[in-house]
Order: sequence, then C-alpha cells, then structure tokens
Amino acid sequence: MAIKLSKIINSWVPENSKVIDFGCGDGSLLKELFENKQVLGYGVEINDTKIEKCIEKGVPVIKLNIDKGLNDFMSSNFDLSIMARSIQCLKNPDLALNRMLELSKRCVVTLPNLGYWRCRINLASGKMPITPELPSSWYETENIHLCTIKDFENLCLKENINIKDKVFINRNGDQGGLSKINPNLFAVEGVYLLEK
Amino acid sequence: MKTETKLIHFSEGIELESGEKLNSFDLMVETYGELNEGKSNAILLCHAFSGNHHAAGSSEDFGIGWWDQLVGPSKTIDTNKYFVVCCNNLGGCAGSSGPSSIDPSSQKIFGKSFPQVSVLDWVNSQKMLMDKLNIECWHFVAGGSLGGMQALQWSISYPDKVKKAGIFAAASKSSSQNIAMNEVARESIRKDENFHNGNYYEHNVIPKNGIKTARMLGHITYLSEEHMDSRFGRKFQDEGSKVEESVSFEVENYLQYKGEQFSELFDANSYILMTKVMDSYDAGKDKTLVEALKDVKAELLIVGFYSDWLYPPERGKEIQIAAMNNNIRSSFVVLQGDHGHDSFLFSSKTYSNLITNFIES
Repeated sequence: MAIKLSKIINSWVPENSKVIDFGCGDGSLLKELFENKQVLGYGVEINDTKIEKCIEKGVPVIKLNIDKGLNDFMSSNFDLSIMARSIQCLKNPDLALNRMLELSKRCVVTLPNLGYWRCRINLASGKMPITPELPSSWYETENIHLCTIKDFENLCLKENINIKDKVFINRNGDQGGLSKINPNLFAVEGVYLLEK
Repeated sequence: MKTETKLIHFSEGIELESGEKLNSFDLMVETYGELNEGKSNAILLCHAFSGNHHAAGSSEDFGIGWWDQLVGPSKTIDTNKYFVVCCNNLGGCAGSSGPSSIDPSSQKIFGKSFPQVSVLDWVNSQKMLMDKLNIECWHFVAGGSLGGMQALQWSISYPDKVKKAGIFAAASKSSSQNIAMNEVARESIRKDENFHNGNYYEHNVIPKNGIKTARMLGHITYLSEEHMDSRFGRKFQDEGSKVEESVSFEVENYLQYKGEQFSELFDANSYILMTKVMDSYDAGKDKTLVEALKDVKAELLIVGFYSDWLYPPERGKEIQIAAMNNNIRSSFVVLQGDHGHDSFLFSSKTYSNLITNFIES
C-alpha cells in the first residue's frame, strides 16, 4: 500500500495516548506513532522473527495468539486499539470487535474489501479472487472471514458500533477517485475508526 | 575475557527483611569485561537457586559457568561491550556468607543459626556491592527462575538504578505446588540421620542422602516430560555404567548421578535456606502486584517457556499484565524451550536475539 497507515490514522491518535496494536508485525506502525505522537504502545504478535524486530526497534510486544482471546488486556485501559488487516483472519471477528471496544475507548480496523470489482470479476468467472491485496489461493490463505465494505458496515450497525471516521484506499494506494463515490466496488481496503 | 573473582567484605553489615541483622558479611563476586568511562555498560546477573557467582567461562572450582552459553565475548551478553557482574547470594555456599561459613562473633560455623534471608535482602546486598563497584545504574539486570525474581525485585526496589530488566522463567511469587515440592526436598534433608538438626558440621558428617534425594526431586521439576522422553525414553542403562546396582533405566541412572554429584558440592543448610527464599518471595506482598509495580521505571523483558511446568508462562504473563496496567514498557514472549524450566539456561536463536536486541535497543 502506497499510503502508510500511520499517515491515515495520525489524526485519530491522541498525543501521549496508550495504544495496543493487534497483529503488529515488525512494530513499524507503533514505532512511527511513538515518534509522531509520543504514544505508549504495545504490540501483539505471534511470529518470533517479527517479535525480534519489535524488540530491536524498542517496541514493547506481547507474544500471543489473538484468536485465543483478548481478555488479558481488559484491565489495561487503552485509549486506542488497532487491528490492521488481521480481523478477517480471526475465528470470531464480531466478538473480537466488541472486545476491542471494551478494552479501549476507540479502535482502528482495516480490512480488505471482497466487494472490489476485480474480486467480483474473479467470482463471476467462477473462481475465488486472487488480487494484489488477496494474493493467496483459497487453500493457503489465512483469510477465513473475508467480507465486503457493505458487510462490515452492516455488522457495525448490528452490533451498535459507531463508525466515527472512515477512509477508503483505491488500487493505487490513495484515497481519491471512484473509491470515494462507490467504495464497495472500487476500494481495495477500508480503514475505520470505531467507537461503541 | 577479562575475568576477576574476589571476595568482598562488607563490614557495615546488613539489616535483613526478617528484622535480624548480619553485623558483617562477605560476597563472592565474579566480573567479566571492563566498566567503561561513563559507567553505562554494567550488567548484573542474578543466579538461580543452586547457582553461584561463576556465570561465564571455565574455572577450576566451578567448571563451566551457569550462563556460559549466553555470556562471553561476542555472545548474547557480550563481555567485549559490557561489564558483567555476578555474585554468590547471601546464604549460599560458594564463598559468600552462609550457613557453612564462620560466624565472626562466635568463631564457629553458623549452621542453622544463619539468619533466614530473602530476595529483598539479596537485592539490598547487591545494591551495596553496586556502590562498592562505583556503578550508578545497571544497564541491565537479568536472571532466570529465582534469578528472575531478583531482577523483578531490583526494578521494584531501586527504580532509578535499573534501565532494563530481564525476567526469565520466573514468577512474582511461588505457587502452592512450588512450595510443596520444596517441602518434600527439605523433609528428605531433615530426615537424614546425619542432619543433626542442622549442626552436622560439629559431627563431621553431611546429610548426603538427604541432599541427594532433594536434588533428584528438584531435577525432575527442572525438566519437561517431553525432554525426558526424548533424552532417556525407556532405555535401559548399560550394566557397565550403572552408578547404583538397583538402577534399571537410564533416567534413574542419570538422576542418581546428578544427585550424587550435587550432594558433594552443596551445603544442606543452604539448600533449606535457598528454597525458603524461593517459597517466601511475593512481589505483591501486602498489596496487589499492580500496586507493587507502581514505581517501576525499567523496561522489562519477560520470557517464559512452554515446556516449563515449574514456573509456567502464565506466571510471566501475570507480571506483564501488571506492568501494562502501570504503563511500564514491558514485553512478554513465550518460547518453546526444549529443557523445561531449565530452558532459560540454554541459548537458542530467538532467545539470544531477543536478549541482544533488548539490551542494545
């Protein structure tokens, strides 16, 4: 993605806030948020190599399988939780969303859009979509709960989750063009700021 | 590797957590590498239950250091860069004042009259050592098991004196099961006919069988079922290499051998005292762990091992959660570890990278 997630969510992250990033990877996002917003941040990651990178960057990290539950973090009073491109990999995305909004005041969720026109063409030709954003075959992918922008917003409505802000990314990695007019068809990714 | 081993005397004595006082005491200390001009490269290693001051390199008396896999020139804790300090804890039997040393006031062996010490006392005595070595702040304090408890206590007791702490295969307190295991070990020592209520020195004997049985039990708790299965399985011991006639299986022979070896080196009163230190430690004593960590400023690296059933990873996670509630910059990582509780002693790629990255970040 050409636009860095930190650029998009910068304005959503209050200075000096306490942040937890589920599926933090090598800790790059948190590192940028330390530098730009002086946040106190913790990453959650399962991959040892990525964890080593977090520690190398000085990013505090916890090794944990997010699917096993987020209950461990309920008492920590986070201002913001982040789940970037991971919610579709979870067994219970709906429960995870609600949990994130219990353990933090707000949360940022980003997800790939299965409604993107290229995915639809793939499906229309009778095949599971393979796109630059969803490059794996159906039997290899970790994405077990893919959804469209519309599906996700319907879930938020059903769960009484407020969408405070949202940004749609098109295939060029920016926010302009058709993805603004019809995100469900033209956005490859949705970035949401949620509140309960 | 520049190594210095020395006995340091503290004539000022120390007030103990129990209220008792040691009017003076000695610590056996080993250091590796050199303190830099800015005094910013000092690392304290805290040994576990049966460890001592000899952490790295090879010595005539103590063989290969207990953390030699990780500590040395160009190793995980690089003695070319860092000045590494390790001391035998008070109450031990590797040169520091303990039950088997001479009480200066009576000129007799302390025996069971040596006062009960605690993790806090160890940390306080290490702080006195720190002052004597002119170190203002530890860059890193680390240890595994009971050593991890000391690293945790350092960050609680002296928040301005520790930049980073490594707490490995440890807990903020011993569990009921831990205490139970230790009590069986102590009981086997106390019931040895040569124990003489702790005054065996006067009788020129040692409760060897008791210590041996205690160690055999302890040793089982340090290993994992999987490790024992892969190492020994149900293999029978060769007739020619049996250390005891009654032995059938390799695992029995191994425990016999380890127990025997240990019983010749370790003092029985120290064994009892050290296990009591472990049992009585509770970082959150009189309050919650969250409150206990309130003033901690050090960054923490907490590592647990899946194969450790003595201090399982859950215990480390409790410290992590309490740390996060206090906004402490703390990481918690669970590694596979092939050696059960003892995994903290062995180098592995991820474990080593984590520690190096943490110290250097």
